[in-house]
Amino acid sequence: MIGLNHYLIISGLLFAIGLMGVVRRKNLLMLFFSTEIMLNAANIALAAAGHFYNDLSGQMFAFFVIAIAASEVAVGLGLLILIYKKNGTLDLDDLATMKG
Amino acid sequence: MDNILSVLIFFPAIAGLLGFVIDKNSIRAYGISVAAVEFALSLFLWATFDGTSAAMQFVELIPIVPDFGISYYVAVDGISLFLVIMATLMTLIGIISMSVKNEIKNMVITLLFLEMTMVGVFVSLDVIVFYLFWELSLVPMLYIIGAWGGPLRVYAAIKFFLYTFTGSLIMLVGILFLAFTYYDIVGVWSFALTDWYQLKMGVNVQLWLFAAFFIGFAIKVPMFPFHTWLPYAHGQAPTIGSVILAAVLLKMGTYGFVRFSLPLFPDASVIMIVPIAVIAIIMIIYTAMVAYAQEDIKQVIAYSSVSHMGIIMLGAFAMNTQGISGSIFQMLAHGIVSGAMFMLVGMIYDRRHTKLMSEFGGLALVMPRYAMIFGIMLMASVGLPLTIGFVGEFLVLIGFYKVSPILTILAGASIIVGAVYMLSLFKKTFFGEVTNEENKKLLDIDARETFSLVPLVLIVVWLGVYPTPILKPIDVSVSSMLELMEAKAVKPKTKELIASMRSEDKEEN
Amino acid sequence: MENLVYIALFAPFVSSLFALMFVMVPKQTFVGIVASLLLFISFLASATLAYHIAMTNEVIHVTMMDWIVVGDLSIPFGFVADHVSVTMMVVVSLVSTVVHIYSIGYMDHDRSFNRFFSYLSAFVFSMMVLVMSDNFAGLFIGWEGVGVCSWLLIGFWYHKKDVTRDINPSISPSWAANEAFIMNRIADLGMLVGIFIIFWNTGSLQYDEVFPKLAELSPVVLITAAIALFIGAMGKSAQFPLHTWLTDAMEGPTPVSALIHAATMVTAGVFLVIRANPLFGMEEVAGVSYFIASLGTFVAFFAASMALVNRDLKRIIAFSTLSQLGYMFAAAGLGAYWIALFHLAAHAFFKALLFLGAGNVMHAMHDELDIFKMGALRKKMRWTWLYMGLASFALAGIPPLAGFFSKDAIIESAFNEGSLILWAMLVITAGMTAFYSFRQVFLTFHGDARYKEFGIHPHEMYTYVLIGMSPLAILAAIAGFGKDWFEGFITNLLPEYEMSEHTHHLASILGAIVLAFAVGGILLAAFKYIKGLKRSEKTENSFIYRLLSNQYYIPQLYAEMISKPYAELSSIFWKSIDMKIVDATVDAIANVVYKSGDGSRKMQSGNLSNYLAWMVFGAVALLIAALISSAIG
Repeated sequence: MIGLNHYLIISGLLFAIGLMGVVRRKNLLMLFFSTEIMLNAANIALAAAGHFYNDLSGQMFAFFVIAIAASEVAVGLGLLILIYKKNGTLDLDDLATMKG
Repeated sequence: MDNILSVLIFFPAIAGLLGFVIDKNSIRAYGISVAAVEFALSLFLWATFDGTSAAMQFVELIPIVPDFGISYYVAVDGISLFLVIMATLMTLIGIISMSVKNEIKNMVITLLFLEMTMVGVFVSLDVIVFYLFWELSLVPMLYIIGAWGGPLRVYAAIKFFLYTFTGSLIMLVGILFLAFTYYDIVGVWSFALTDWYQLKMGVNVQLWLFAAFFIGFAIKVPMFPFHTWLPYAHGQAPTIGSVILAAVLLKMGTYGFVRFSLPLFPDASVIMIVPIAVIAIIMIIYTAMVAYAQEDIKQVIAYSSVSHMGIIMLGAFAMNTQGISGSIFQMLAHGIVSGAMFMLVGMIYDRRHTKLMSEFGGLALVMPRYAMIFGIMLMASVGLPLTIGFVGEFLVLIGFYKVSPILTILAGASIIVGAVYMLSLFKKTFFGEVTNEENKKLLDIDARETFSLVPLVLIVVWLGVYPTPILKPIDVSVSSMLELMEAKAVKPKTKELIASMRSEDKEEN
Repeated sequence: MENLVYIALFAPFVSSLFALMFVMVPKQTFVGIVASLLLFISFLASATLAYHIAMTNEVIHVTMMDWIVVGDLSIPFGFVADHVSVTMMVVVSLVSTVVHIYSIGYMDHDRSFNRFFSYLSAFVFSMMVLVMSDNFAGLFIGWEGVGVCSWLLIGFWYHKKDVTRDINPSISPSWAANEAFIMNRIADLGMLVGIFIIFWNTGSLQYDEVFPKLAELSPVVLITAAIALFIGAMGKSAQFPLHTWLTDAMEGPTPVSALIHAATMVTAGVFLVIRANPLFGMEEVAGVSYFIASLGTFVAFFAASMALVNRDLKRIIAFSTLSQLGYMFAAAGLGAYWIALFHLAAHAFFKALLFLGAGNVMHAMHDELDIFKMGALRKKMRWTWLYMGLASFALAGIPPLAGFFSKDAIIESAFNEGSLILWAMLVITAGMTAFYSFRQVFLTFHGDARYKEFGIHPHEMYTYVLIGMSPLAILAAIAGFGKDWFEGFITNLLPEYEMSEHTHHLASILGAIVLAFAVGGILLAAFKYIKGLKRSEKTENSFIYRLLSNQYYIPQLYAEMISKPYAELSSIFWKSIDMKIVDATVDAIANVVYKSGDGSRKMQSGNLSNYLAWMVFGAVALLIAALISSAIG
């Protein structure tokens, strides 16, 4: 029987993968993918928890997150394209202009 | 003239703002006239002040944030009145004697702003307003040292600012905690000092609050071991900056002790008598010795300031009228004398662009008038009777003798060590042959310099011979403060001690 | 009568201000004349007061105004003319008048002539305040006032530069002035403490309120008060160990030495003990009083021993002053207050005369002070010789001159108290006094004219100066005859001193012993020196001779043990403690804040990737902290 714990474990694993991607990856696009993975990890956890408690608000939140992620991608990708046009790269090491 | 205090506070600031439209060549005359009007106003305040009453006078109370009990609350009593007058006097004399040439407009305007903050500190009875003026006073001084100072001016200015600012922040924490305690006990918010005076607090709370206020005040005084910013600040500041700093700004610290620490925390103050006295004695003897080792005239006087502030601190914690009145009188005396001393050093610096004693010698021959005034101020500084310096020192020592004879004898060493560094300074600078060729053609003080020094000389003698007009109101206010302390002390031992500090005969008569 | 008190007090003050007006202009002879006249007015007022008091026994007490009033401390400017103060007033104003007149001649060529008179009159004013004040604080005003005037006058020739101790034992006038001031300050602290004790135990500082209350006080309080006040007296009167400043003070102009460092200021300590006799005369403080007498005797002997070998004309007289002050303290300590006061007055006359005579010699010898370079001056300076001879006879205690009566009485009272050691020392000192006085007279005025080798042409002082000195000469000669009258006058206020039957019986024998010692001293001096100076290498290199001529090495000791360590310690305090520890700590704290900011600045790399890593690190750290805190609490 697949229980809540399994979902939470898979969610945790996905989150960890996303986190690793955020920390390790140098390409902005990859960072985006990683954040999407992390968001989806949260979605799994929300949906699973909603099902476990027989409460729909968990799944409702998951939908909210999907909607927000979609709009974020729309805006974010637009910005990325602009950055690429301006700098010719999406590598974070080359974009370090705010050095203190 | 119901709101004379507001006029006193804000007149210089508004006049300073108007100063921006004044032509550069007439700004000095403008500054002198503003300062003179301000000084005349403060004299008028004294004339209308009722010296026989210990009550707060010329009270103005305008609520600002009624929900938190913050209001614009100003008044004077015998303790603050003369400090206000001294602040206005020293500003006036300082501007008259000022020899700054560059950016003189900014200097005059800065000084007028500084005057506002100084008067504000001494007359505010709302603690938030007091704190506001207290912090604001740092800014003009930071600017004066940082813009017109010597080669190390930025270091000195930042050191001065950060050091005193750190202390004030800790004091601010104390203020807020005390306000909260007041709210806790009384149920309403208030930042009015007169309300706080009525508050009785446990000894532990008092000790913590005393410590918080102590750091703020002690750095300002400056007390050993928080004094090291002072030699830098004086060493780098232009003459006018040193004059105001020594004469008025340092007094804010000791005024704070008398105005806040003593009446707010009587039990803690009594517990702290001996530790503070020990620090005061270290200040007196140790810094006097350091002063003796100096090579620079201005540094000698800077360290001598610390030494004299030790006497003031000692008197403030004598817990009797003699000691505390003497302490306040000594604040005035030190203000006048050290102000004059720094002006004198500035005059020789203007001529020779050095302050090293080794560069001089035999100045009494080439500058007799200068030497004479320096000599008079020196004698006032070492506490010669019939000069202003003796009255305060004598009262402080006689007051503290009741607390502890041994500590008083140690502190009394100030009359010896003070004479040592001052006389050796005088000998190295003024006596002997004129060895340095450059000193042979030095000019004696001119009319402007004489005009700025002679009033101080007259005050030094006048208040040395006849201090009563000033001592009387101080005495009245201090006595009532001591009664307040006795009444609100929570430990019976404190009550006993304060009561025992009056000499026995009084009750019988 | 009250006006006379004010005239006596303020005439010197007016004189000082008058001279001060001319301080910036070249010499004006009339300044000296006006100052002398004003001093003479002060003398006339004092003398009238003295006559009035002698006739009516009425004490005149005036209160001018309040000075310091705080709480229950109330100090007025109050002045009292009673038997003691009026005696002092007459002595001070008389000697001052003579010295002022003398100074017109002596300071003739000095470009700071006007300034000199301003200082000198200011000194007289301070001295008058000291003796006339009706309370201890007023006394302290005068006490410090004379200290400052003494500082100004010792350092009058401030332009002279410092030299080593081998060339001039006083180093320089300004050095000597500072030494005098600082040493006096040490003692003044004692005086202040005495004032504090008196105030807190009696509630007042007025003599007439303090003294009646003394009986109620505990012995501890009385003893500490007496010790503290006597420490004050030790400084002003240059008692051991605070004595070195007095001989160095001879750097001042000679009229100053005559007035301040012989006749008046240095006797202030004796005056204080006499003034506070209700305290010092109490049973409880008998120990302190006996200590005063012993110290006085010791100083009398100690100073006389140093005078035996000194070559400096003024220093010999200064040592003799020190020695005579010792005599006065001996008398005061033994309870013979009126005898102390009598010796004080008599000493003022003959010692001032002696100093002024020395001034004449200096004037003649172009400021040469070494008596080994003089000799045979009596041919050129007959009047000065007479004056100095007379004063030396008085100092040596030869009847019928003033010194005989006063000194003899002191020695007699020492015998009367049964302190034979004190008595013996005082008698021996009397012999030494006679010896060194006449050694000086003979070396200066008799024998071979050694000054010729140095190309000096001595000349007698101006006639008016010599006439001006005559009142002192007359008084030095005849003051002794007023002893009985003075005793009757002064014991209206001071306690009487009765010699016991036994002493009375032996009085003439005791007197004869003292006289024998004195005459013996003179004869010895005559034998050795009247023919001229015979120096012997062996004596001068002997240990004792060198010890004495170096003042027992005490000045060197003070320089090595006090001045130098003080300067070094000051330097250490400044350079090592203040700069390296206190200030460095502050800077270190500031540096920690600065460095940590500087270090953490690297986090601001501008690289988003780094920021994210830090964010993750922060989130994990917070999570762990939350876990730990929930696990604990």
